[in-house]
Amino acid sequence: MSVVERQELSLPSVAAQRRKKRPGLADTWWRHVVALIGVVIALFPVAYVVSAAFNGDNSLRGSSLIPSKLTLDNFRSLFGSQRHTTGHATFQNAHYLSWFGNSMIVAGGTALLTVLLSALAAYAFSRFRFRGRRLGMLTLLLIQMFPQLLAVVAIYLIVLNTGDVFHFIGLNTLPALIIVYLGGAMGVNTWLMKGFFDTIPSELDESARVDGATPAQVFWGVVLPLAAPVLAVIGLISFISTLNEFVIASVILETQQKFTLPVGLWQFIDQKYSEHWGPFAAGVLIAAVPAALLFAFLQRYIVQGLTQGAVKG
Amino acid sequence: MIKIVLLSLVNAFGIWAAVVLVDHHKWRAFAVLVAATAAIDAIYLAKRWTLPLKFLIPGTVFLLAFQVIPVAYTINVAFTNYSTGHILSRAEAISNIEQNSLTETNNGASYSLTLMRDAKHQLVLALVDNSGHTFIGTPQGLRPIPRDKVTIKDGAIATAQGYTPLQGSELGSIDTELSAYKVPVGGGKAIEPQGFDSAVVLEPLYRFDASQNAFVRIKDGVVFRDNGRGSFVAPTGAEIEPGWKTYVGMRNFGRIIHSPLIRSPFLKVFVWTMVFATSVVFLSFALGLLLAITLNKPGLSFQRTYRALLIIPYAVPAFLALLVWQGLLNDDFGVVNRAFHISIPWLFDPNWARVSVILVSVWLTVPYFFLISLGALQSIPSELIEAAEVDGGGAWQVFRKITLPLLLVAVAPLMIASFAFNFNNFNNIYLLTGGGPALNNSPVAGATDILISYTYKIAFAAGKGQDYGLASAIAIFIFITVGTISAISFSRTRALENLA
Repeated sequence: MSVVERQELSLPSVAAQRRKKRPGLADTWWRHVVALIGVVIALFPVAYVVSAAFNGDNSLRGSSLIPSKLTLDNFRSLFGSQRHTTGHATFQNAHYLSWFGNSMIVAGGTALLTVLLSALAAYAFSRFRFRGRRLGMLTLLLIQMFPQLLAVVAIYLIVLNTGDVFHFIGLNTLPALIIVYLGGAMGVNTWLMKGFFDTIPSELDESARVDGATPAQVFWGVVLPLAAPVLAVIGLISFISTLNEFVIASVILETQQKFTLPVGLWQFIDQKYSEHWGPFAAGVLIAAVPAALLFAFLQRYIVQGLTQGAVKG
Repeated sequence: MIKIVLLSLVNAFGIWAAVVLVDHHKWRAFAVLVAATAAIDAIYLAKRWTLPLKFLIPGTVFLLAFQVIPVAYTINVAFTNYSTGHILSRAEAISNIEQNSLTETNNGASYSLTLMRDAKHQLVLALVDNSGHTFIGTPQGLRPIPRDKVTIKDGAIATAQGYTPLQGSELGSIDTELSAYKVPVGGGKAIEPQGFDSAVVLEPLYRFDASQNAFVRIKDGVVFRDNGRGSFVAPTGAEIEPGWKTYVGMRNFGRIIHSPLIRSPFLKVFVWTMVFATSVVFLSFALGLLLAITLNKPGLSFQRTYRALLIIPYAVPAFLALLVWQGLLNDDFGVVNRAFHISIPWLFDPNWARVSVILVSVWLTVPYFFLISLGALQSIPSELIEAAEVDGGGAWQVFRKITLPLLLVAVAPLMIASFAFNFNNFNNIYLLTGGGPALNNSPVAGATDILISYTYKIAFAAGKGQDYGLASAIAIFIFITVGTISAISFSRTRALENLA
């Protein structure tokens, strides 16, 4: 079998599919049935959230797949401009916009800095030969097996004591949360990135070095641009896992204005879930947008990354 | 050039922070900061040999501060009795007991009290004793004030030279100051205000005997000795509160094994953690593989659409999905019960709650295994399948003997990684059930609590008090368990070849 044919079978491109005859429905009907059942189960909660977000009856009791009355009231209540609030539960005392903004600041800041820090370290591990290199990488792996949230008591006490002296990184501040998350920036990410950097031919750096570039210039000018896909994927993974983080955020952040989305929404529904269902659904819908968009843009890289190694799960 | 600017910024920050630390008399932190800043300068200004360090330092600083130190601290705490009632140091605990174990004496003198402020606006107690002597009491002590400098009305001082009586409106805001107010009168005794218009002499319940290194109960001479575990305890077993933080060796680990109050819930939680993580991984893998096989048919119509829709649960941030499921599974108003006209207590019955957290976790995890199975299936050379079919293998046989083994080579390490992830999947439990519903024979652990949420509750849940020592010991246990699993998985994959 020729190489070309093999590629067609293992990686069916759109063009290859067009050239082939589509299999008949008689052979494939069961595939459609299974896939459709899967799609229904996957989308069922999503459909309910979308419907509840636009539904006029914003209690959980009144929710249904087809909204009884289409309205944007739930969204208005998120942004504090709802006019007809009588009889409607709203995020009155909640601070949805702050939570959303805080989450974006914390997750975005952590993702950017995580990419930077782990790329720097991965570059050193990939390009330099130095004493303790192997030990360094193994130590990184070992330390990372101890999840940060297991040490949440210690982290709390460290931030508490730091805050006595430096208020801007004390309890109930976003910078404190970001630098705590950066403690987990290296580890797995550095490993993934080093693996990718190793695939970039070192002849490229060497020719840049011959032309007089410093190691720092090689890093910024040659390696980083070539590693853009893996930087994007690690940034996205870091963004989403930071966005999801609940324990440390709930311990460090203390007031409503400082909450991130998981802490804020969790408290919000904890009080009177069934009555807040409408505004809650609208909040969920908006909160899901940034991550879903990033995911859609980077889907190709993620699928590649997943098949190459454990990335998230 | 940029290097110089950045380095100057680091130094400027370091100097500013050093000044602040000196201001707060934090000498140890000051020393660490100066040493770290100097080391960073040396590394970045040196020429050659520090090159790798220049790239490693930025991440390492954060790694040390928020990963290594917390881990070291956690290990340290695991060998202490750090918990509610054992927060202070020993010296603090002794002075705390001496100051707070005050009790009214049998023949205790009492005073009529007027609250006043002195010229510096400090709160003082203007007192009249039973025999009509007048005093001014401050936290420094009690001193007489001559009768001609005060006026007395209804047995209490109404005015006093140099002092202004508190007005009614001021009284409302001094409660906390007043409740901690003590006028020492020697012999460990003190005058304490009782409300706004009387004060009594209190004497200590215990006396610290430095020669015995123990507390003595004054009224009956019972000796409370240091029990070596952070408390003063009488022979009868009675204990003086508060205790102090001290090292207790392996005691926290011993409690997990020996104390029935901890062992029974711990074992339940441990078994459930294993069941939860295992079933989530296997069910998700099975369903993900099923979907992957279904869609792995070249030329299948809507293939891409199906794939895009099936991975939606993976694209939504998990915490949102979990909170939504909490609403969908609500037993009164939840959509699931109403849609199927059933009334299953999804989240409020222990067994149904366990089923629910597994189902929801599977819902979240299937897309991941679907994607990796699809990738792995497509990378299996089709010659192998065709050859097996030519040799007369049936579809099932080909799957069992060819496809699955090849697939597992790629997927098994990811299954182990996923197991380790779910073993500590705090969010999937806590955001859905909060670890509940409560089990009737365990005050802390709920039916769906996994080790990590159980640990969190031991450390932070109010009610039964906070036991940081025990929580840290369990955290180390989790670390060893997950670390072993991960080590096995890593040694079986070729990830370590990366080190070359």
